[in-house]
Amino acid sequence: MSSDVSRREFLATVAAAHGAFVLGFWMPDKTQAQTPLAKPSGAVWYEDPATPEVNAWIVVAPDETVTIRIAQTELGQGVWTSNAMMVAEELQCDWTKVRPQYASANRDAREKAPEWTLKVPGNGATDPTSGGEPTFGNRDRTGVAGIPDSLYRRMRTNAASSVKDGRYYLQLAGAEARERLLLAAAGLWSVPVTELTAKDSVITHGPSGRTTTYGRVAERAAQTPHPHPETIRIKSPDQWTLMGTERRNLDVPLKVTGQTVYGIDVRLPGMKWAAVKACPVYGGDVKRYDFEAIRTMPGVRSAVQFPIPDPSCTRGRVFSGGVAVIADTWYQAKTAVDRMPVEWTIPPENAAVNTAMMRDALAASIAQPGQVRVDQGDVAAGFARAAKIVEATYSTPYLARARMEPGNATVLVTNDRVDIWIGDQSPQETRFSASKITGVPEENVYIHLCHLGGGYGRNGNGPQAEQAIMIANQMRGTPVHMLWTREEDFIGTTYRAMGMARLKAGLDAEGWPIALEVRTCMQRDGFGPEASFDVTSRYHVPNYRYSTHTTKFHIPVGTRRGVGQAAHDFYRESFMNELAHAAGKDPYQYRRELIARTTLPYKADMLKALDMAAEMSGWGTPLPNGKVRSIALEERGAEGNGMATISAMVHTVSVSREGKVRLERVDIAHDTGFGLVNPLSVKKQLEGQIAWFYNDAMLQATTIADGHVVENNYNRFPISRMADDPPEINIRFFPTGHWLIGMGHDRATSIQSAIGDAIFQITGKRFRDLPYGKHDLTWI
Amino acid sequence: MAFDLVVNGTAHRVDADPQTPLLWVIRDHLGLTGTKFSCGIGQCGACTVHVDGRAIRSCSVPASTAVGKPILTIEGVSPDGSHPIQMAWKEFDAPQCGYCQSGMIMAALALLHDRSRPTDAEIDARVTNACRCGTYHRVRQAIHLAADLMRK
Repeated sequence: MSSDVSRREFLATVAAAHGAFVLGFWMPDKTQAQTPLAKPSGAVWYEDPATPEVNAWIVVAPDETVTIRIAQTELGQGVWTSNAMMVAEELQCDWTKVRPQYASANRDAREKAPEWTLKVPGNGATDPTSGGEPTFGNRDRTGVAGIPDSLYRRMRTNAASSVKDGRYYLQLAGAEARERLLLAAAGLWSVPVTELTAKDSVITHGPSGRTTTYGRVAERAAQTPHPHPETIRIKSPDQWTLMGTERRNLDVPLKVTGQTVYGIDVRLPGMKWAAVKACPVYGGDVKRYDFEAIRTMPGVRSAVQFPIPDPSCTRGRVFSGGVAVIADTWYQAKTAVDRMPVEWTIPPENAAVNTAMMRDALAASIAQPGQVRVDQGDVAAGFARAAKIVEATYSTPYLARARMEPGNATVLVTNDRVDIWIGDQSPQETRFSASKITGVPEENVYIHLCHLGGGYGRNGNGPQAEQAIMIANQMRGTPVHMLWTREEDFIGTTYRAMGMARLKAGLDAEGWPIALEVRTCMQRDGFGPEASFDVTSRYHVPNYRYSTHTTKFHIPVGTRRGVGQAAHDFYRESFMNELAHAAGKDPYQYRRELIARTTLPYKADMLKALDMAAEMSGWGTPLPNGKVRSIALEERGAEGNGMATISAMVHTVSVSREGKVRLERVDIAHDTGFGLVNPLSVKKQLEGQIAWFYNDAMLQATTIADGHVVENNYNRFPISRMADDPPEINIRFFPTGHWLIGMGHDRATSIQSAIGDAIFQITGKRFRDLPYGKHDLTWI
Repeated sequence: MAFDLVVNGTAHRVDADPQTPLLWVIRDHLGLTGTKFSCGIGQCGACTVHVDGRAIRSCSVPASTAVGKPILTIEGVSPDGSHPIQMAWKEFDAPQCGYCQSGMIMAALALLHDRSRPTDAEIDARVTNACRCGTYHRVRQAIHLAADLMRK
């Protein structure tokens, strides 16, 4: 299709070919993903005139189907279900009738959030009747630095925050709709609304016993604004009937039949495929390419060059320029781009970088004074009095996310509108990028969200959407599906930053630490030092100094599952094991005592977690030769009265004489706070993070040679398999008196310290740099 | 150049280079998108389908090698998720992102056709697909349940 064909004609053509469609809301449903684009005539584009919405989150159809709009992206964490549960809890609808649907990022650009969603009553994280402690004070339109006040508020899916940040206003949206449905029924029957109750989508008038259903009054409810929505209060956890129960994920049935539509599965009429080569060295760009060499290959249409994406679209990160080959099928495009000669312009200072020199730079930085974050007591005096000094330097490599669906996006740019089909963790940012690149206003950017084949922080960091938009922008009128190879996916991504830590403790005659100095070093902007995760203050040491040290490299770094905290947890818990060993004390009791000596508000919860995990694991009972247990505390937020998540884990690990490590068993004691939304999803997230951090501990490392990433497919960046997974996982929950801060990215980090500790206990060898798999772990 | 493939019991004439990997013929020429592309080098197993009853990694096999042999993809396991292996997967809520699960199910199904009561060691040896979400714990339980259901 040439670019002068108008959008109207395009839509007419598509409509004629494929019948009727709904535009704007995107459901990962095969029929819709592969048949696009048309506007129901005579209606506001997002509304189906037959079933008007009750509010922006909820549509109840005459057949009682309850459509709940989800503003986060399903990438395996269960948000499609848990967000729906938060709305349905208050709506009091029939859960079996709930059908999630992605909220429209376009409508989010056009409408403001209702005023009644913007203020949170109550006393924060330790008040069960409040909204908890979302960062409602920060307003950022892209959702990066705060929660926007656009219609769907926070559309980002990151930082394990979907429940934490969305719970209050999602519950409120359900409650507002319920109240309007009740008001509609009251108006219909001319009875006081106070005489009505709602359960499972049925409204009952107490005095008369008369009933009706949500489906029957929904249209009236759509016309019945609540007179005082600001007076509506959400339920406290003791009133929950749906939240807190285990619910299977609503999208699983489609995932076992292959019908789920991911971004890669989108097909549009007239669509062409793009395969890409970006400069492997970040900051590099295309010098020249020779399209003539491949012009006559089967299916090949054209080649399109794209520059380094504008860093304002990629949160300041500098990726690469490159070239795309456009063809009728992706395999044709990929075959052709592989054969097309391309020369690069590469900044020499970037091309000179390799892992060894980066390590040296980290070590040099850590030897400098750094930025002091905490300085309590007199550390020098503490060391002077110490009976024993223990010192250790740990290091962690760059790490890729390696989600399994390679980066892709399908983009159609016309002169007045941009449509993007994509699995995206930050559609509000992508909307901004699309507008910036094409000049089309954000109000005319339509993002059709698809499920994601894994995320782990990946899709909030560019540049897959930006590349695809830059390519399609040069082919206006033609839908272009850009799909990366696995190797390109390792280029078009940010990395968890490489890190290093030096910890030094002075122990008294009984082995208790009286002085501690912690230095951590990570690449700047690496969600390490800047995030100021506190390495050691959970354990009491009277004299304590903590400094952060940074370096600057050209590798783009970003939010990978666990962020900097995963490395920091490794440093802290590994060092605690070393101190307990140096003190000749049991590592469980050693931790317990040092936590008990603190005055931290959540001290009792931390002790509870440790005790429960130890008890679950049979701590102290004998194990066969070559098999040991290791314990660790995992927490986030435990220092204050805000939100927190607290858990402890005991890992039972064996190491064979041939050096084969096996994680045999994991026992987890995990805080529920005032209540988990979907405990089944939490269990799945915990199980998944066991595999995730096993990979970090044993298998994975990204290295840099001549400025580029070396490990660019699964043969060199391994992923654990069934045979690596622990045969036994035990999870036990315990309630606490605060709201959770999330648990989707920083649990099971202790596998890193536990396996290192087990290797030491069994082999006598102490390794402090990950992954352990690269070391000789044999013993006799 | 055209050739014929029999996929999920249906014969298809495919107009493509016969050296095209079977995966891309299945996805782009036949429109069966349940089978996934991930690594392209036969490492991860997201593209697993059955050819002649054997689980193969379709990203690394030319389509021409499957001519004349029955091909089974996730879409052919059952149209409605009613196959015992799919029922078992749903029972344990096994998928997370789900991207690898078509291939995982196809690998497990091939195992269950050979071993009606697989041991954990046999599962480890035969289901070597990668899952980045780490669903292995539930997948293993689902395979055992599927074995029970399939024997009934």
